[in-house]
Amino acid sequence: MSGSAVEKTESQETAVLALHKKFLGGEQAKAPLRSINEAGIKRFELLKFPHKKHEMYTFVNTHELAGTSFELAGEGPVDTAWVQSRIYPACKHSVAVFVNGAFQANLSDLSGLGDSFKIQCLSDAVVDDEIKQTLIDSLEEENDVFAALNSAFMHHGVLIDIPAKATFDVPVQLLYVSTGTSSGAVVSHPRLVVRLGEMAELKVLPVYAGTRGNYCVNAVNDFIIKDGAGVTCTQVQKDDAESWHVSKTRVQVHRDGRLFARNASSGNRLTRHHYEIHLKEEGAELLLSGATVLVHQEQVHNFIRIHHEAPHCTSEQLFKNVINDKGRSSVDGTVIVNKGAQLTNSNQLINNLMLSDEAHSDNKPNLMIFADDVKCTHGTTVGQIDEDQLFYLKTRGLSEALAKSLLTTSFVNSLIQTIPFPDVVADLNEILLKKLEAKHA
Amino acid sequence: MSLLEIKDLHAGFEGTEIVKGVSLTINAGEVHAIMGPNGSGKSTLSKVLAGHPSYVVSKGSITYNGQDLLEMDAEERALAGVFLGFQYPVEIPGVNNAEFLRMAYNAKLVKQGQDEVDPLDFDEILDEKMKMVGMDKKYKDRFLNEGFSGGEKKKNEILQMAVLDPKLTILDETDSGLDIDALKVVAQGVNKLTNENNALIMITHYQRLLNYIEPQFVHVFSGGKIVKSGGKELAHELEAQGYDWVTAPAK
Ligand SMILES: Nc1ncnc2c1ncn2[C@@H]1O[C@H](COP(=O)(O)OP(=O)(O)O)[C@@H](O)[C@H]1O
Ligand SMILES: [Mg+2]
Repeated sequence: MSGSAVEKTESQETAVLALHKKFLGGEQAKAPLRSINEAGIKRFELLKFPHKKHEMYTFVNTHELAGTSFELAGEGPVDTAWVQSRIYPACKHSVAVFVNGAFQANLSDLSGLGDSFKIQCLSDAVVDDEIKQTLIDSLEEENDVFAALNSAFMHHGVLIDIPAKATFDVPVQLLYVSTGTSSGAVVSHPRLVVRLGEMAELKVLPVYAGTRGNYCVNAVNDFIIKDGAGVTCTQVQKDDAESWHVSKTRVQVHRDGRLFARNASSGNRLTRHHYEIHLKEEGAELLLSGATVLVHQEQVHNFIRIHHEAPHCTSEQLFKNVINDKGRSSVDGTVIVNKGAQLTNSNQLINNLMLSDEAHSDNKPNLMIFADDVKCTHGTTVGQIDEDQLFYLKTRGLSEALAKSLLTTSFVNSLIQTIPFPDVVADLNEILLKKLEAKHA
Repeated sequence: MSLLEIKDLHAGFEGTEIVKGVSLTINAGEVHAIMGPNGSGKSTLSKVLAGHPSYVVSKGSITYNGQDLLEMDAEERALAGVFLGFQYPVEIPGVNNAEFLRMAYNAKLVKQGQDEVDPLDFDEILDEKMKMVGMDKKYKDRFLNEGFSGGEKKKNEILQMAVLDPKLTILDETDSGLDIDALKVVAQGVNKLTNENNALIMITHYQRLLNYIEPQFVHVFSGGKIVKSGGKELAHELEAQGYDWVTAPAK
């Protein structure tokens, strides 16, 4: 039994190696990135696909994903009207469109951002020592096999480079379009590096969507946030239901830097977000929130490691998951407070609303504290609809269905309403809250 | 035909009987007061009438408007005109108060085969009702009961009564939490809403409310039962002498 399971994994890994060989010999690979591609596949060979008891994948079954044989996705074609309908009105002149990870100048419009917004291919940007080092570090320390694969297949990533003190009035939408196929499954490896100079500020809205199913998007996003700089990143995962979404977000926040990261996921066959955040210098601040509404067999998982490496840093986390049918969600989050990171302030709260007996939720908030003067809390709730609230609404003549949809909507709405972009709030009303209506009406 | 007829009602939680044989008949146009010590089962009776699913009725019957009330669930009872003003209204964060009130109002209209009202039209209706119960307009855009003071929660209950215009209203300790000025305004509002076609049951621990809303019938409730019934003079006797003289023989 176990013998055949091992063989199976080995054949999956062999298939990836063969795909990689084809990639390096093909037209997509870029010479300046070759050493990183090669280091990436070495890292993959070392890490291998996760087995059941892998500590990073305790709650996530990647068996089906690893067992699917993928071809590398090409660059399209894609219907222009389809793309345009997914651009937020406020981002008409501040949108970068990517198709299967490749930047599309003809579909993008960055005219509203001015000269201080710089975007370039990573294959050109690697001449910059700091960028090159970030890419190399990401491999040497990488423990997540999917992130290693992203480096192995990286060819069309971009760098967004914001000079010191630059600020922008409008948010930048990063629209990642995946084009699935009706035949074999395809995979793309979008890669983004965002660097903010001192005191610069940027609002980004990465949005992941697919024209049809049968694809995997395996994204890695690196943020380097220099002294006093601030990033607001609101990520929307609205992929096709028949897809897989794996993302890793690696962040370094320097002195008094800020990252406000929000994440709303509609789920699919498997979505897994991995956050690795380093609050490196005094005064660094993090806000991380996640909202999901899952129906059918949709899954969304969050794996979070936050490193408090200096005194006076703050991290606030809030997750709200609504899970119906056979949906699955997990939040596996650890806050590590290093020795010397005194006066750390860290809170993590995970709230789950379970709407069916078969809904599943795993939660593992964790604190590892090596400093003695800190304020850290964490908490988890897993609950059903409150019977007294439901009764109250029904005594006013609301039907059970309407009352339930009101209560479930309000649960996640209290988080969605804090998102400071009306276009995103409207989008989430469509993709998350509509699921609750449809379910109960 | 009586509006409400409760016959030998026994109810409580699984394994614990709290209401122990209540019989009570109420006709349209009547105002009844149920008075009794804390813990005697008054709120339990009110929630059984409103259809809370946690309570088990082990014996007896409730007929409302000729229908078997126990066969109806909470929503059907509400749509048939039964209204409970809760002793402890729940807070529902994330649900807008005015939107909730409009949904409740529209649910009733739809039940009556009428068209729903849109938010603008409802706003006018709501303003008038809020004035009637002395409630500040700022409570329209708050989340339902969240962070309301005890008194504002009670006013919000009466506001819902005014919006829904029920046939049978049960007010459970609506007076507690209200100061005397607010109590007068709320009582005036309730008086405007009562007429010969509907009925009111006021549950209270104190006699104070009865100075402003006059009942024709007063029932003393103790140990899960009505132990004495009379006219409004019974309330004055209770106020003067406490509950012991009526409840002691029942124990
Ligand atoms: N969940 C419960 N399970 C069992 N007994 C309860 C529960 N809630 C209330 N009770 C009991 O029911 C009795 C009646 O309570 P209640 O109806 O609230 O009385 P009243 O409104 O007259 O003060 C009390 O003894 C109370 O302790
Ligand atoms: Mg009570």
